[in-house]
Amino acid sequence: MGKGVRMKVIEIKNLHKTYQSNGQEVHALRGIDLDIESGEFSAIAGPSGSGKTTLLNVMGGIDRPDEGDVIISGQTMKGLSESELSKIRLNRIGFIFQAYNLIPVLSAVENVEYVMLLQGVEKHERREKALAMLRDVGLEKESHRRPAQLSGGQQQRVAVARAIVSGPEIVLADEPTANLDQKTGSSLLDLMKNLNHERGTTFLFSTHDPMVMDRAERLIRITDGRITL
Amino acid sequence: MSGYKMTVMLAWRNVWRNKRRSFLTFMTIAAGTALILFMRSLQNGGYAQMIEDSVAPRTGHIQVHEKGFWENMTLEYAFMDDNELFNKISSMKNVKGISKRISTGGLLTHRDSSAGCEILGIDPERERDIITMDRYVLPGGKFISPSDKNGIVLGRALARVLDAGVGDEVSLVSQGFDGSIAAKNFMVRGIFKSPNVQYNRTLGIISLDAAREVFSMMGHVTAYAIRASDIDSVAGLAARIRSVTDDTFEVMSWDRLNPEILQFIALDRASGHIFVMILYLIVAFGILNTIQMSVYERTREFGIMLSIGTGPERIFRMILTESFFVSAMGIALGMILGYGLSWYFTVYPMDFSEYESEMEMYQVSTLVYYAKIKISDFIRASVIVFLLAGVFSYFPARRASRLDPVTSMREL
Repeated sequence: MGKGVRMKVIEIKNLHKTYQSNGQEVHALRGIDLDIESGEFSAIAGPSGSGKTTLLNVMGGIDRPDEGDVIISGQTMKGLSESELSKIRLNRIGFIFQAYNLIPVLSAVENVEYVMLLQGVEKHERREKALAMLRDVGLEKESHRRPAQLSGGQQQRVAVARAIVSGPEIVLADEPTANLDQKTGSSLLDLMKNLNHERGTTFLFSTHDPMVMDRAERLIRITDGRITL
Repeated sequence: MSGYKMTVMLAWRNVWRNKRRSFLTFMTIAAGTALILFMRSLQNGGYAQMIEDSVAPRTGHIQVHEKGFWENMTLEYAFMDDNELFNKISSMKNVKGISKRISTGGLLTHRDSSAGCEILGIDPERERDIITMDRYVLPGGKFISPSDKNGIVLGRALARVLDAGVGDEVSLVSQGFDGSIAAKNFMVRGIFKSPNVQYNRTLGIISLDAAREVFSMMGHVTAYAIRASDIDSVAGLAARIRSVTDDTFEVMSWDRLNPEILQFIALDRASGHIFVMILYLIVAFGILNTIQMSVYERTREFGIMLSIGTGPERIFRMILTESFFVSAMGIALGMILGYGLSWYFTVYPMDFSEYESEMEMYQVSTLVYYAKIKISDFIRASVIVFLLAGVFSYFPARRASRLDPVTSMREL
């Protein structure tokens, strides 16, 4: 599937977020406005503590803003209950974290199946899709291995497979290459880029890795909680 | 796989993530459950033996007296022997044996020694079905025979006080049913040593015929003693006997005849409850420790699970299911161990006969302790451990389900 007409997947309006760290108030986000369109392969870049992870968390409904709103495909996240946010995370967003993404007691294929299971997809369809996804990320042979039996790069590939298998509107990846060596990181980025091209999956990264920034089609720079395009 | 099956599978695999910790927890639960069951079985056996040791030598399971006899123990409360009533009771279901008795207080004298005593006149043939006193006669002596009107069997401590042995003649002085002086010399046929210290100190046994004669009973007796087929049928049998006796009679079952046994059992049960509570707490804290540690170690994992859309209730259920697995396996193992241990002491009871004199000093009359397994104890213990597991897992499970994904994902 290629990229067709671009629609707004995420609209961010005047986002503010403050939290306490070691007894001090940290202004992580200071009035962010941002739109992400379908099919984008974008990166939010900035130094440590700039607010990029906080922004990603708020966009993904994992964290709540103090002010402002996040709208996912027309659905506002403002005022939603925990359970409603959980359903949005389950059905509309895919997540990839820095490390330890996977459930250790599940095999690779079971980890990929997990989200579909929560969505109520039938067993047969679930297994078929999960195996196909693992094939796409080059891990068909490792499908029955548990995370501890996989390398860091393989684990991240499984996380990518899990994030996109149920066709979310956007995949949010928080520094996905941070714990990988350059070669493995590059290979992971290639994989995500291919998926972006072939499936039209929207990817948004947070990163301070120049390699990710180079590959991103759009770079959103953030400093001290503000976008500094 | 359904969502429920996935929760169960995740819980099962999580239990085996840390094998050593899970093993230690199983063993804590198993050892606690086994000890609780073993202790309960020993208590059951001990109580049953104590009851038997009190009932078997002397009182029987049920006695029918004229009202007031048991408090006063005098012939004033004797009643006219009623063969019709006697036969009616005798033919009742669950009656193993029934016998007539005459008992009253008296003074026994031998040479310069004398001692107050209780004289019990019995029909030795019939009493074989009711009491076991004939088994406790020491070597060198014998129990009285039905036709023996001159023989007496004395408790060992009583014989010591009187300085009387087998073959000696002792004199009994008491009051007859008609108010006359009852006096007669008896030959000591045997000396008994029963498990009940009190009987050994105070009891002299003569034949029913001898008692009738010496106390001028004129067809009266003081009690019908009854043995039921088993202890559990006593209450029902006593009720049936009450229904065929009039208001002048009192029908007393073993617990009223031996109230001190019930008091002792109640006291012992209370101290046993404290010990069992401590064991339950050890088990509960074992479960709490495992679940708490397991939740603490997986904080980041729960953060990830919550982030990707796992509902808090699923995490809550998963942890409770883990607790269920740990408890179920521990309880199962504990039941096997507890049953095995109890069974061993059912077959090979603890026998303290060689410490008899020391135990007598402390007025402990039961010398053999065996275990008695009750299924109800097994059910109760497993239900309580499961409930404790549920209660003690509830809070860690709730904590995990309420974790903030952002904060918990910072944990490593």
